[in-house]
Amino acid sequence: MTDNLPAVSLHGVGKSWGPVVAFENVSFDVPRGQVVALLGPSGAGKSTLLRCINRLEGISAGRVYAYGELIGYRETETALHELADAQVSLQRRQIGMVFQHFNLFRHMTALENVMSGPRIVLGLPKAEARIRAEALLAKVGLTARKDAYPAQLSGGQQQRVAIARALAMEPRVLLLDEPTSALDPELVQEVVATIRALAEDGQTMMIATHDMAIARDVADRVIFMEGGAVVEDSAPAAFFTSPRSDRARQFLARLLKDGQAAPPQSPAQQDARS
Amino acid sequence: MSVAGPAAPVLAAAALPIVAQRRWGGWVVGGIVVAFVAAIVWGGIRSRILDLTIIGEYLFHPAIVAGALNALILGTLALGISSVIGLISALMRLSGNPILSGLSAVYVYLFRGTPMLIQLVFWFNAVPTMFPTITISLPFLPGPLFETPTTVVVTPFLAALAGLSLAEGAYMSEIMRAGIMAIDNGQRSAATALGMTQRQVFTHVVAPQAGRIIVPACGNQYIMLLKSTSLASTIGYPEMLRVVTDIYSSNFRVVELLTVAAIWYLALTALATVIQTGLEKRFPPR
Repeated sequence: MTDNLPAVSLHGVGKSWGPVVAFENVSFDVPRGQVVALLGPSGAGKSTLLRCINRLEGISAGRVYAYGELIGYRETETALHELADAQVSLQRRQIGMVFQHFNLFRHMTALENVMSGPRIVLGLPKAEARIRAEALLAKVGLTARKDAYPAQLSGGQQQRVAIARALAMEPRVLLLDEPTSALDPELVQEVVATIRALAEDGQTMMIATHDMAIARDVADRVIFMEGGAVVEDSAPAAFFTSPRSDRARQFLARLLKDGQAAPPQSPAQQDARS
Repeated sequence: MSVAGPAAPVLAAAALPIVAQRRWGGWVVGGIVVAFVAAIVWGGIRSRILDLTIIGEYLFHPAIVAGALNALILGTLALGISSVIGLISALMRLSGNPILSGLSAVYVYLFRGTPMLIQLVFWFNAVPTMFPTITISLPFLPGPLFETPTTVVVTPFLAALAGLSLAEGAYMSEIMRAGIMAIDNGQRSAATALGMTQRQVFTHVVAPQAGRIIVPACGNQYIMLLKSTSLASTIGYPEMLRVVTDIYSSNFRVVELLTVAAIWYLALTALATVIQTGLEKRFPPR
């Protein structure tokens, strides 16, 4: 029955800190298996929206559902009652999250990081958690680095471990908050490839990103936000070729200008090096 | 860029030995300092300010060894108790509950803000004066279950332990609070997003990392506590300073006996340093 329900469903969701509004009245459904790219300038509310879906942040208005389950509250006829920590943490098990700055546990090796969810949250036996974690590290291509601590890994490697750590909980939705924004340009590709592989496996994902390769080639749908509101919601091809709103057009024009400035430089740089 | 510098001199330079910079000034100053220290030591030996045979005689005197052992026991127990008090107080302070947080702040202010010596004397002398008898009674029972004069319960050892633990707990509270706050929120977010409860976030993610951060500070406090046990000499606890004072007040070998005590305190400090270094090595790199 839950198969027919959307993976994530937002009903008039708003978030503000006093007078400061992150976003207002956001409503859309994400069907199971879809990959959504959240685009928009910095401060548009993309990251905060993701953090509201797994209730790392409380919301100020509206309702968030994951597979039909109201997140963070118990609804009665008269009110929404805030759930206790233990109950919200149960809901979070099915919603994975990957962060801009990886946030790997610094006192654990790569393998221990990936095992941490199954071991601590699900209480799996060590051997079983280890098998699951090793398979996931193999999937992201880091079997050789499983005993390294985060400080000994490159940014791209850390982010792939972080993706494996989130997948170890077998989440039904994966939220990725600017997964490539903190990476050196030459490391972005390995993380994009990992995310693309997940999309091909049918993993439901919502990705806040500034990376056009993810939005254009990996996502099934682009949601463009600006000033705390959804401005445009369309297929990637339509969004990049014929954006409907002026704001999206300006956003794309700025990106294109930055993007075209780079390629002519590279042949000259290669000459200088050799 | 590829045409920078002729090739031949570079090859020749690789074959030559490298001569380190000579710091003549440093060696001259070092020599002067060594000569100065040697002169002081030689002067001390010639004027016989200190008799080495007396030090040797008393270094392993049973009463002094017992005093050192008492200092070690008192200091170590106080460290353990103050760590528990400090952890509870730090968690109260960070709980976000204004009552618990306020209580913790007042505790830290009072016990960090008054001299340890006064606190020790207070527990030993003032408490029995304020509460002459200790009575434990249960409701619905006719007589008291247990009744005794306070002076019987509050021995010098207990008063010293209570005084040191409570005073040190205030410092520990701040050390642990600093350690917990040093863990960035990204670590907590990641753990919470995995589905850990707030308790699991603390025990599995925050505490192990904070522990690594506070080990050097705790080593410091352990050394300070071991030395602060000498304060208990004022309330009649037979720790090292008390024993040494008793001995030199009869044989007048003040310098030698204080030196013996200093040697023992240095030995205890070395022990604490070894434990601290061992703990630091046990934690994985960050």
